[in-house]
Parts: sequence; structure tokens; C-alpha cells
Amino acid sequence: MTEQPSPREGPAGTARRGGSSSGPAPVVPLGRTPVQQMDRLQYLDVATRRIARGMDLDETLRELRWAAVPAFADAIVIHLHDPLPVGDEKSAAPVVLQLHSIDRAPEARSALLMPHAEYASVAERVQPAFAGRLAKLLLAGRPAFGDTPGIHPAVAELLGPAASAHGTLPPGRRLIIAPLHGRHHVMGTVVLLRRPDRSAFTTDDLLVASQLATHTAIGVQKAVMYGHEASVADTLQHTMLPSSLPEPTGIQLASRYLPASKTAQVGGDWYDAIPLPGSRVALIVGDVMGHSMTSAAIMGQLRTIVQTLAGLDLPPHEVLHHLDEQAQRLGSDHIATCLYAIYDPISHRLLMANAGHPPALLLRPNGHAEVLQVPPGAPIGVGGVVFESVEMPAPTGTTLVLYTDGLVESRDTDVGTGVEALRTHLQSTPHRHRLSSLERLCDRILTALAPGPRDDDIALLTARFEGFPPDSVGYWHLDPHPLTAGQARRLTRRVLRRWGLDALLDTTELLVSEVVTNAVRYASRPISLRLLRTDVLRCEVTDDSPQVPRVRQAAPGDEGGRGLFLVDRLAQRWGATRLSTGKVVWFEQQIPKDQPIQGS
Amino acid sequence: MRGRKATPVSGTNDGSGYDSLRLDRTGQAEAFDAIGDRYDEAFPHKEGQVGAGDWLIESLDPGARVLDLGSGTGVPTARQLADAGFEVIGVDFSARMVTLAREYVPTATFHQLDLADLRPGGSRDLGRFDAVAAFFSLLMLPRAEIPLALRTIHHLLTPGGLLALSMVEAHVDDFEIPFLGNTIRVSGYLLEDLHKILDTAGFEIVKENSYTYAPATADVPPEEQVFLCCRRRD
Repeated sequence: MTEQPSPREGPAGTARRGGSSSGPAPVVPLGRTPVQQMDRLQYLDVATRRIARGMDLDETLRELRWAAVPAFADAIVIHLHDPLPVGDEKSAAPVVLQLHSIDRAPEARSALLMPHAEYASVAERVQPAFAGRLAKLLLAGRPAFGDTPGIHPAVAELLGPAASAHGTLPPGRRLIIAPLHGRHHVMGTVVLLRRPDRSAFTTDDLLVASQLATHTAIGVQKAVMYGHEASVADTLQHTMLPSSLPEPTGIQLASRYLPASKTAQVGGDWYDAIPLPGSRVALIVGDVMGHSMTSAAIMGQLRTIVQTLAGLDLPPHEVLHHLDEQAQRLGSDHIATCLYAIYDPISHRLLMANAGHPPALLLRPNGHAEVLQVPPGAPIGVGGVVFESVEMPAPTGTTLVLYTDGLVESRDTDVGTGVEALRTHLQSTPHRHRLSSLERLCDRILTALAPGPRDDDIALLTARFEGFPPDSVGYWHLDPHPLTAGQARRLTRRVLRRWGLDALLDTTELLVSEVVTNAVRYASRPISLRLLRTDVLRCEVTDDSPQVPRVRQAAPGDEGGRGLFLVDRLAQRWGATRLSTGKVVWFEQQIPKDQPIQGS
Repeated sequence: MRGRKATPVSGTNDGSGYDSLRLDRTGQAEAFDAIGDRYDEAFPHKEGQVGAGDWLIESLDPGARVLDLGSGTGVPTARQLADAGFEVIGVDFSARMVTLAREYVPTATFHQLDLADLRPGGSRDLGRFDAVAAFFSLLMLPRAEIPLALRTIHHLLTPGGLLALSMVEAHVDDFEIPFLGNTIRVSGYLLEDLHKILDTAGFEIVKENSYTYAPATADVPPEEQVFLCCRRRD
């Protein structure tokens, strides 16, 4: 086709043929007839509907490219604002345009823009000069022909080297540059090009390009918002879950969280592990009903409440009781299930209470797997229900499996069947895996029970009990008395000698003495002194005064006040926690590496 | 075992040192009535106690007369001593414990009594004994009564008689603790104080063992158990 710049030529002439023909498409010069106008409207109707259908960014822009090439143009170059602005926020950062994609009709490859059929010559990343021609064009928001006076610098700025060489751009009105303008922001640009042998764009085509750009900009904005919402939900969910589990001694932990398959499908599942005094650990799994941002938000609040209650060292049934009370304050229609367990590595016992959650399972070292029989209780949020703590042995080497219903329940499986399937799976765990890493156990469970896409999210928490021998602890009740600190020092000395920790004697005695002196000052009932030897030496002093001490620098001449300052300076770690019955102040010291493990 | 009879609060005036004391046993025996067999489930390991029983068996002549003070379910001590051929008399203040002990150890004799009943001039006289075993029973008394209880044991022993005693190390007096779903009141001494009290009460310590004991229950914290093998000095 020869160059025939005719303002009367529309896209209709080449539109539906160009794509498949290998040679130049024949163009029949047509007047601006009603038929032609109708074609154009039909084309626009189809094109905009396709563009609007896109759910994400790439889909939207793909639809634009397919709608544009070859029906309307022979090549299309799309740049997007990077990063794409979200919402109405004004960004102070300068506009940067990033090449998103290029499409062209097969016959356009040799003739246009891409002499080597590669995009290398198109600018990948463009920062429009401040107040330059491109910046003005973007701001104006209207598409323009390539032959508009003064537009060439803008095209050159956008397309870079590709546009600067002579003859690379088609002559005449065969280029339209259209900004993609959202509600408040420039989202990007679209450049539409026609081969030199195809008829030039008409002024009506400029309106078509404007329509395509507008719909695309709306689609891009929609996709960005949608993606943002999904990521907000995702982020919300993830920040509500522990970023990492604690690593308390006496227990190994591993966890998994799998979101539901549908994007932006937020769940309310959670899990937690919270160290308690005496090297005990609270293990929690819960599930807020529903799948919405609200479920995730409620979950976050319930998790915080449970953490607070756990910190008070309440027994499981009381934690659930108070959680139930608090949950009702969050609103009347939030129902959740929760299982709360406390593992004591010294007594080798497990204490557990349940609020309507699927039962926990125990995998014994001999391969036997059992469903733990704990009264299921009513869900959290129902109100006025009595929960019951059940105590059971927790032998060393046993693994506790806590999970949410997503693991055992689906459209095809009821909970009971699913729990039995999980039990059977655990029981069939080959011996070598039973004591191998918990991470692998988690993966095995998920692979076996949740292989495909799922409607519900899944939380999984596994805990292997390692226990301590009774000799790794010393525990005494002591009446508060002016002589108590001295008694505590002597007990500490005796036990550290028994453990062969003479190297820690002086420091530990000093710190125990300071902490006990503080405790005795406010206690009205006997305090307790607990010493624990694991990979660290831990000392805990519990008293019945709820006042949690703070470190302060003692003024010269002060009698007291140095205690915690010393603890802070000399202990590896320390802390003070409010309990339901008072408080515990604890500190830890590293056991010297070459220290032989002694004891009975 | 931890056991004494629920005697109504009473004043005494018999010149044995109990004069000024109000013996308050409220709730103590009831707790053990309620606990029953669960006691042995929570404290399944009895190596220390059995070891102290072995010491008695090694040290006593066959047919010796032994008092098990706070005999509980009779297991393991009354049974161990009865099986060794001793004449075993057990006392406990919990009726339920006495019933269980009679069932588990038919070869021993059990009485539902309070230790205070056995004091010099007290309401019951079970005669003199070659040995007394008091495992975790004196700790059920307020501290003021413990030296008196040791005097009573001294009085119940023949000269040179043996006392196998166990306590939980602590420095508390009549201190309420949760115990297997009940509340009991306990007292305790630190080791060095216990040595002094035993000395004052007329006992010499032959040997001593301490254990950290972790009960098989989340309800009772681990404890320092002390087993003392003593001899009446005169």
C-alpha cells in the first residue's frame, strides 16, 4: 500500500484483515460513511469490553494489545508509571515510565520500529524531563498525532534510540501517542503505530485511541486497586501471625500457614507459642469463622488477648473463659474456635482446654497416633460456657499436632473423616520420619492432606516434647523475711555445685540475692525461687505482688534500686512478667561451653 | 504419707508443749479423703522413700515394731516394711486413706489418728516402737507443732530407735498450696534448719539424701525432697 494520507480513511478498511494477511492489506478508500462509523463503534464496543474484562494489570494490557493490533494499529508500545500509584495519594517522586510491552502485527516486524524483531532499541525506562514536551503531554492527558507540531521531542523522549534514527518511525499520521490517565495520576502511555503502507490515522481514529486509552487507564487503576487490596489482606493476615516462633528449651516447634487458594481470600486462622515461667510453653491454635478482612482483624485481636492472658500464666480453661468474655466485647457476631495447651517439660505433662476446635493429635515415638480426648467445649464468642482443662502425660519424643479445620475438612470430607485421615497418616509415618525434623513432618502432613487448591486456609503447629530430667530444676517456697535473700543464696550455691556450675556461682548468687531482696520487700506470701539448668541457667523468683519492677539507676547513697541494674548488666537476658497471682522476675546466664553436664 | 486426722480445733493442757497451741486441722484430712488413690498417681516415683525404707529394713532386727506415721494408702512404705516381716502399725488422719491402706496392706494394722493423740499423756497409747517412718507427714503441721511432733516421736521410740523422715525443703509455715485439685496447708524448713530441729529434738542424723522431685501432674510444682535417716540419741 502506498502512502495515502487521507483523513477520511478509517481503521475499518484494514481492521479485520490485517492480522492474518502476510502481505500489505488492501485498503479500499472509503468515504466517511455511516457504515464506516458503525464499524468503528462496533470495534470500540468490542475492544472496550475486552479491556474492561481484565482482572489484573497484565490481563488488561494484553486485552488492549489484542484489541489494537492489528485491527487498529500495526504496533503498540506500552509504558507504565513505575511504581504504579495506588489510590489518591500524591507522590512526590518524579514520574518514571517503564516499558511494559510491545506488540506488533507480523508484517510490521521488518518495516517498523524493530528492525531486528527485538525491542532492544525502545527505551526500557524513561524519566520525562521536568516541564519537557513529554511531561506536558502526559499532563494534558489527551492523545496526539505523531505529526503534531512540536510532538517529536516527546516521542523521541519516550521511545529513545528507536525514534531518533531516520526512517524508523512511520511517516505522516501513523503514530498516536496517548497518555494513560487515571483519576488522579498518569498511569503510563500507549504509542500506536501503523506501517507506512497502511492508511494513516484519521481524526476519528484519534478519538478511538482516546477511548482505548481511557478504558485501559481505568482498567489499570482497577487492577492496581484490586492487587493492592489483595496485598493489604495478605499483609494483614501475615502480620497477625507470628513472624517466627520462639525457641524455648525443652520443646521443638514448627508451623505452617497456607492461605486459601482464591486471591484476596483472607482467613482467620492463627497459631502461637508463648514461653511461660518454669520453661513451660503455651501452644495455641485458633480459627475465626468467616473469610474476610474482618475475620483477619478479629483474629489479630483474639491472638493479642490470648497472648496477654497466657502471659498471666492462667490455666487453659481460664484463658479460654476470659477470651470468651473479651471476644463478646468485640461484637456479638464473631465466633472463633481455639485450642489452648500448656506443655511442662519438667513434669512431662500436657494441660489442654478446647473451645470448639477440632481435636489435637499426639504422635508417640513408637508410631502410635491418637486423637486427644478433650471436651470440645463451645466456641469462643458464644458466652457463658464452662471450659475444662484436661491433663495428660507428655512423654519425651512425643509430637503434638495442632491444626485448623482447613486441613481436615473440605467440600468432600467432613471433620470426623478428615481427623481420622490425619491420624492414619501420622500413624503411617515411617520410623525415620517420626523423629526427623518437624519441618519435614509439617510438609508431609500438608502434602498428604492438603495437596490441591483449597477453599479454606490452614494453620498447622507441631511441637515435639524434649523434656528435662527432674534434676535440672530446683524449686523452693520461702517465707518473705529479712533473711530470705541469704537463704536463697545458700540454696543457689548448693544447687549450682550439684550441677557443676561453679563458674557461675558468684554472679548467680549475687543476682539471686538482689532479685529476692526486691521480691521480699513487697511480698506478703511466700515467694518461690526456681533454678533451671538447660542450655542456659535460668533463675525465676515469683512473688505475690503484682508490681513489676523497672530498672533505674540508683542515686549515690540509695539503699535499694541497684538490684535490677545489676541484673541488667550481668545477666545474658532478664525479664519481669505480671502473673495472675503476682509476678515473676527471671534472668538467664549462658552456661560455659566446656562445662561438663553433671548431675544425677 | 501426708496424712493426719481431722481433729476439731482444740486447746490442750497436758504439759507436753501443746498447751498454748490451737490444733487446727480444718480441711487437711478432707483434702486427702478427696485425693485418695490419685496421690500415688501424682507421685509415682518413690525411689527416695523406698531407699529410706530399705535403710530401716537393713538396720532393724526381724520382728521389730514399726510405726508408719501418715501411712496414706500404705503403699509403698507400710507394705515394704510388712513384707520385711516387721510388725507395722500405720496411722493417718484421713479415713479414706486408712480404708485404702487396710485394703492394700492387710498384713499391717491401721488407725485413723492424729499424731497429737499419741503425745505423752495423749488420748491413745500404741506402745513403744523400734522405728518410726514419717514420710511427708510432718509437713502437714504448722511449724510450731513440728518440734513437738518430733518430741512425740522421740517419746514413741525405744532408746536408740530409728526415725526415717522425709520433708519437702522450703521455708514456709502453714502455707496454703493447691494440691491435686484441693488446697492443703504445708510447712517446711530449709535443710540446715531441719538439722538443728532434729538435733534439739534428740536425734542424730545417720544419713541424708535429697532429690528434686517432679510430680507427674501439672498441678504440683517440682519439689526438693529430703530423706533423713536418724537415730534417737538417748
